[in-house]
Amino acid sequence: MSHDRPDIPEILATLKEFTRGVADKARGSERYDALCAGFLVDVVKRELVCVEAQDKSQAQRLTAITGQSGELEQLYEAFCQNVRGGRLDQQWDEVFDFALQQVIDKVAVTKPDYLAPEHQADALTGNVKKQLE
Amino acid sequence: MSVVESPVTDSLEGIIVRLEAAVRRRFGGDASIVNVDVATLGASNRTLLFDLLDGNTTRRLVLRQETYRSPVSPFLSPHDQYRIHQVVHSHGLAIPEPIFELDETDDLDRGFVVACIDGETLPKTLLGDPAFASARSCFATQSGEFFARLHAIPVAELPFLADSADSIDPLNAQRQRYDSYQESHPGIEVGLRWLENNRPQERAPKLIHGDYRVGNLLLNHQGITGVLDWECAHQGNAMEDIGWLCLRSWRFGRIDKPVGGMGPRSELYAAYSANGGETVDPEEVRWWEIFASLKWAILNIMQADGHVRGERRSLPFACCGRNAAMIEYDMLMTISGRFQ
Repeated sequence: MSHDRPDIPEILATLKEFTRGVADKARGSERYDALCAGFLVDVVKRELVCVEAQDKSQAQRLTAITGQSGELEQLYEAFCQNVRGGRLDQQWDEVFDFALQQVIDKVAVTKPDYLAPEHQADALTGNVKKQLE
Repeated sequence: MSVVESPVTDSLEGIIVRLEAAVRRRFGGDASIVNVDVATLGASNRTLLFDLLDGNTTRRLVLRQETYRSPVSPFLSPHDQYRIHQVVHSHGLAIPEPIFELDETDDLDRGFVVACIDGETLPKTLLGDPAFASARSCFATQSGEFFARLHAIPVAELPFLADSADSIDPLNAQRQRYDSYQESHPGIEVGLRWLENNRPQERAPKLIHGDYRVGNLLLNHQGITGVLDWECAHQGNAMEDIGWLCLRSWRFGRIDKPVGGMGPRSELYAAYSANGGETVDPEEVRWWEIFASLKWAILNIMQADGHVRGERRSLPFACCGRNAAMIEYDMLMTISGRFQ
């Protein structure tokens, strides 16, 4: 919880207003930079809301697939090494579904409206959608 | 991963002074340059447009300077790019005429100068402006014709390309570059594995452009006027160029028009075969399209790596790191058969 106002969402909204204002007035590379900055502010906003639940869900699935436990980054490494070595070829459907879900989680943070309709509904349900409104 | 040498970081004023000196060394002391414009700071090159005044003639030229070097760079050196311009231009294909290559005396680092071709490159204009409707309608056919002529150039005319990582094994080249960034992407890894397990048939190597797509092409209202950006050229399977052009990212939202957001596959394939190209196998093109997603995602990771390590700080490059997820998504959805 923020101790003082503005809180984090309000700070991000303020930054977004600033980048939008610059983009409206600027041209060429300066305008493009401002649009990029606004895009990155939106990424931060969504990641703050989504990341905890995504990390928890992914760690559970990775532990089930690889049989290993640990920090999420270590689990990613184990998954990737096992896929690279062909040791998960026999459970390809499960491996593919995890990779797709992990990518859907990332796109839900980066640009949720890029997802196909069936994945948009999965990625931004209930509480998450409410917090991002 | 680290960049081994500093790329060009000079001020624009300094570059212009030395460029004029470079021009005078080649065209005589009375030659001068005016109307200098910075076109872009792209993935691998800085592009400067200028008018060369030489006696009573004025000619619009383009300076290309290298901005990225790395032991695992996916880009050819400017010297090799210049040689490609010489060979491809000599075969009469619509690419910029090579004018001269920079050398040490020029003190402009590595690069070259080519003739400017008139045309538009901006995807938003090319895909949306009604004035380009005719150009859009013939884009797939013209691209098929161009590929057929390009792939007919004997690879023996550019023997140095045979040694590039992308010529030897394009999939392994991507894997090596991805590993150099030391990141773990489950989507990338699954894509690599699928591609490894489903490799297409070998074909006789052809000269491959490697980055032929909207954004690297010049068009006027009638059609394609020039093919730019040869830094990814190599020898390889002819279907690689076709798969790259049909990548979902290069449709710029017009996903129902697989050929650059402008036309159908059938017109591209028909024009390619009618002009001497090999028979197109749609399943093989699909493999190369999935490969293209992988390559494009890794190129985006490369840009973010340069930003995060501080070698090439840039807001767009920071965005590239997050955009990679959307390309991974396209790749996995194409593998699953849900995206065409």
